[in-house]
Amino acid sequence: MSDEREDIQPALGTRGGPASWSPAEPGAPVELARPDFGDARWSYLYKTGDTGYADAEPAPGQVAGANRRMRDAPVSDINGPFIHAPLWGWEVATYFWLGGTASGSAFVALACDAAGDHRSAAIARKVALGAVAPAPALLIADLGRPERFLNMTRIFKPRSPMNTGAWCLVAFSGSGALAVGCDLIGRPKAARTLGALTALFGTYLGSYTGVLLACSAVPLWSGARTILGPAFIATATATGAAATRLVLVASGLPHEHPTRSALGAIETGAMLTELSISRLGERRLGDAADALDRGRAGLYFRTAKSLVALGLSLRLVARRTGSREHDLASVVYLTAGLLFRFAWVYGGHDSARDDKVVAAVARHTRERRATSLRRSVLPLPDVLRRGYGEAVRVTSLAIERRLRR
Amino acid sequence: MSTSAPDTEIAIHRAGAQRMGFFTDTSVCIGCKACEVACKQWNDLPADGSQSGKGVSYDHTGDLSASTWRHVRFVELFEPSPQLREEARRALDAGAGGKLPAIPAAGGPDLVDSAQAAPGLVDVADAVGKMGDWVFMSDVCKHCTNAGCLDACPTGALIRTEYQTVVLQPDVCNGCGYCVTACPFGVVDRDHVDGRAGKCTLCYDRLEDGLEPACAKSCPTDSIQFGPHEELVEIATRRVAELHERGIEGAYLYGAGDEPEDELAGGLGSFFLLTEPPERYGLPAHADSPVQENVVPATLAAVGAGLLASAGTVVAFAIAARRGRRQGGASTW
Repeated sequence: MSDEREDIQPALGTRGGPASWSPAEPGAPVELARPDFGDARWSYLYKTGDTGYADAEPAPGQVAGANRRMRDAPVSDINGPFIHAPLWGWEVATYFWLGGTASGSAFVALACDAAGDHRSAAIARKVALGAVAPAPALLIADLGRPERFLNMTRIFKPRSPMNTGAWCLVAFSGSGALAVGCDLIGRPKAARTLGALTALFGTYLGSYTGVLLACSAVPLWSGARTILGPAFIATATATGAAATRLVLVASGLPHEHPTRSALGAIETGAMLTELSISRLGERRLGDAADALDRGRAGLYFRTAKSLVALGLSLRLVARRTGSREHDLASVVYLTAGLLFRFAWVYGGHDSARDDKVVAAVARHTRERRATSLRRSVLPLPDVLRRGYGEAVRVTSLAIERRLRR
Repeated sequence: MSTSAPDTEIAIHRAGAQRMGFFTDTSVCIGCKACEVACKQWNDLPADGSQSGKGVSYDHTGDLSASTWRHVRFVELFEPSPQLREEARRALDAGAGGKLPAIPAAGGPDLVDSAQAAPGLVDVADAVGKMGDWVFMSDVCKHCTNAGCLDACPTGALIRTEYQTVVLQPDVCNGCGYCVTACPFGVVDRDHVDGRAGKCTLCYDRLEDGLEPACAKSCPTDSIQFGPHEELVEIATRRVAELHERGIEGAYLYGAGDEPEDELAGGLGSFFLLTEPPERYGLPAHADSPVQENVVPATLAAVGAGLLASAGTVVAFAIAARRGRRQGGASTW
């Protein structure tokens, strides 16, 4: 796009300034305006009845039938673009990684406390706070109007994952900071309670990012709606464990300490879980998964997978030689986690630009809906499904109404 | 039409206001782009630069964006449309058996082929059929009943007005870009200079003063019709029946007049009369608010996995602790 447009000055106000408007004189009559859109009626060229524009009376079901026929008709050539590509770049991908690492570290802090290793728990809480600290800056930098970042918390809107995520980030950072503060002033009990609360917020902070991507028109993301959350939390657990492990090693935790072996088991287990969930996702996505194979996203995804393999082999080596290789494996896992986030975010860009897949996925969704409606032999499952959907809707309405009061 | 906005939406309520919308009848669109110009002028939108030749059928606009709220799509058809076939049939009926003297040279290869098939004469129906067609469609925000952008917006910048249209409040929007990915029709976009999202408001400011939207006002063929949604649907269904009667079997409505299970995003506030399958106009065959479709299963899976992951971490530590104790290692806990 050319930059020429930047030279064009708006007739009113300044370019980029607030564009709210209000009538100069509320309720004042406007020249030529007619009540009830009278002026709109003038331009109904075809309403006079003498043009034969719409004289025929439709038979019952004629229009609905025509709509269905044409929307199901085979089409050989399509003309995009269908949807706009996402605007989220490296800031958001890095935030996903940092937020995930923070929530993984919060899990580790909770587990350390449960196992009785309070020294490691206090360090894990600091890691969690340290990881989440740059997150707001990254998110604000990604906004088109960074100075309006506070608007994210202007309302509480359970329906919007970005809104709930912003609130969760506030809650997680708040309780995480309080927990670290309690550690510092020597209130271990309060720190533990706040740490457990932080871990609870962490279950959403590390996984809502998957919900955020799933609630979009991008085929790669919405097709993986039940995959993304679990895959992201698996990466989060792995990177959180890896980061905490490295900090604990640096803080002089002995080699044979059970916390170290537990963290090693967690990072490996979580990374293997992430790999298998991704595999499952690729299979479920079908053509939409192509975006994870090609271009920049493909490169990230392949590298991430090879890094996980490298990490696993380093761990096997570390069993014989010692901890240096294991430390390297933790660094490799952290990098792999970052690359997985980059792959999913940039894969969405490619997926949205792939007109063929966007069109095919819409058709497929339509077919699936149609067949599931027509195939049902018993009316019961459908009634149940709709009843459940309605119940969820009414409940969420009731919750939101109460919350907004 | 009682598709009132759900209570969860941030909405302006006003007694007596009814749902307003657009009915864009592509069968009478001539592709003049007056609507695009009128929209830009009224809404004070900047030009998109003078880059010409985007490679899509002489269309230099390309797409709806934050600064283009009406866009006339030029769709070149390489297969003859039902309309064109109908025209050819009429030409056949008018001419002597449909055969006309061949015009040498000027025609493309298809015409030459036809001429060779029937020396001295060209079969009009065949020739026209092979020539393909050009259809135009003035695309705009659909003002969906289940609006993905409205569901996604974290700041409440997007609101439902008393006319049940979806309007973006520019003084609230912080440019997070979520509405851009949540729109299944590729309507909303973020302006790269301004930083905020932008889209059609159905001329909310004009509506407040009893004026019709600028694009509908300027449309010379009344391809864009504005009015109460109910009335528009009534006219549109009659128009479809009329076109069917005239032999254009491919005429249908996109976004209105559907059975409940076929509805696009719960029904579109601005809907279209089309004559080709939707994908030819860059419209999906199925669309719904991605948030309403996915948020419940995705959240259940995500939070469930989150709880499992935290529990798994605790369990892994318990196992390691037990093993450490059994081995009598340097456990200090």
